[in-house]
Amino acid sequence: MRRKCASRAALRRARERRRQRRRLARRPSAMVRALTAAALALPGLASPAAADSPPTQARSDYHYSRYAEDAVESKKVAAGSERDRYEIDIHQFRFETGISDRVGFNIDITHEAMSGATPWYVTPGPNGTPVQVMTQATIEEARTDALLAGDYYFDRGKATLSGGVSSENDYLAFNGGLGGERQFNDKNTTLSAGIGASFDRITPEDTNKYPTRPHRENKQTYDVYLAASQVLGSATIVQTSVKYQLGTGYLSDPYKLAYVAGTPETDERPDLRNQISWLTRFRHHFRSAKASVHLDYMLYADDWKMYSHTFELAWYQTLFDRFLLVPSARYYSQSQAEFYAPYFTAPRGDGYRSSDYRLSPYGAYAFGIKAELPFEVWSLNWALTAAYDRYVSGADLALQKVDVENPGLVSYNLFTVGVTGRF
Amino acid sequence: MTRCLALLLLALACSGCAPVRPWERDALARPDMAWDPDPLGAQLGKHIQFSKEGSLDGGPGGGGGCGCN
Repeated sequence: MRRKCASRAALRRARERRRQRRRLARRPSAMVRALTAAALALPGLASPAAADSPPTQARSDYHYSRYAEDAVESKKVAAGSERDRYEIDIHQFRFETGISDRVGFNIDITHEAMSGATPWYVTPGPNGTPVQVMTQATIEEARTDALLAGDYYFDRGKATLSGGVSSENDYLAFNGGLGGERQFNDKNTTLSAGIGASFDRITPEDTNKYPTRPHRENKQTYDVYLAASQVLGSATIVQTSVKYQLGTGYLSDPYKLAYVAGTPETDERPDLRNQISWLTRFRHHFRSAKASVHLDYMLYADDWKMYSHTFELAWYQTLFDRFLLVPSARYYSQSQAEFYAPYFTAPRGDGYRSSDYRLSPYGAYAFGIKAELPFEVWSLNWALTAAYDRYVSGADLALQKVDVENPGLVSYNLFTVGVTGRF
Repeated sequence: MTRCLALLLLALACSGCAPVRPWERDALARPDMAWDPDPLGAQLGKHIQFSKEGSLDGGPGGGGGCGCN
């Protein structure tokens, strides 16, 4: 009898051990979960779907970039006009940190020193082919931009408040924004929304020399942003977002002219612009290749009758477990604004006119390569970055057929070096 | 376009049925899986596009400045 009871108890214990083993097999160990949670908490490792705590390490970035536009081809520029275009030295600094378990902030400062000639207006050349007249004097100016943003983290989301100022010799802008995000569905779904506004004052230079230039103008922009991101698998995530912007006030360019029936006239655009963009972004990580692919597509439209398509592709390849190499490509195509023409043979009925190449129909491609090398000094984590980007635009690159190319279309090289430190 | 949207919605709906658990997210948590792994590079790219192209950028926020030239 005693032996019978003992064997029943042994069977019960064996059954319990088997159940326990099955339970453990179904879920990762406490150690694995703890390590994963710790890894997710590392700064920079917070996934787009799990940004629910401030950075635990401060991060500081500095980039120096040299932006240089190609000279205008001699056949596209008016006789005697400057050919060399804009060059910009750009210094960028960013610092981000958490200041409590609920609050984090980041500050971005940019300083640009610009010089060179820029497109002024377009005249009909031989056989009516448009040729570019550049600004007469080389422009020298600087821009400083500062942006401060603070985040308050909730258990399943965060709220962001930001404010910034941008100052140039002839331009002053104040901008602010308020945003929030909330996670659902075990943090597999994130909904975000935000609003923003910018108040800009333009005080063009050389108004004595060019009396048709306005002395002082204002413009305001207001934007609304909605986004949804969804984890599609353990290595795949997608986000789609819509941004609407309303621009009011002086939306013309005080430094550009339009050639109307033989006379250069001021650039005149409507004082209202409704813009909307729809951006969809896809990220996937290939574990076996130690690489991640980024695919972005943006559709844009506005009530100046412009629309555009942007495709971006980047491949983040990890080499030797630490070195990062990122080749990228971008394609862009836009239609023209309804009041754009390279030059005008007669005034338009509505009084609007612009020959700005940015409102012209064209397409552009860009490719880039970036390398990032992390290293450790004095127990601190650093990374060196070097990047090169090439951008080329032309009417024949547009998705639609373009009859006349604007001679002022821009192509440029961009070189960047940078350093990142985590403390 | 409609077909792409339908596929996207279907993918979202399917993924909602089988959520990815926190301990399965090592790949999603990688820095190179962030929407903008290089904030300064993304910020400069946006500003150049704002200054040299005719479209509004996508995503939140926006830089300041004229971009007139």
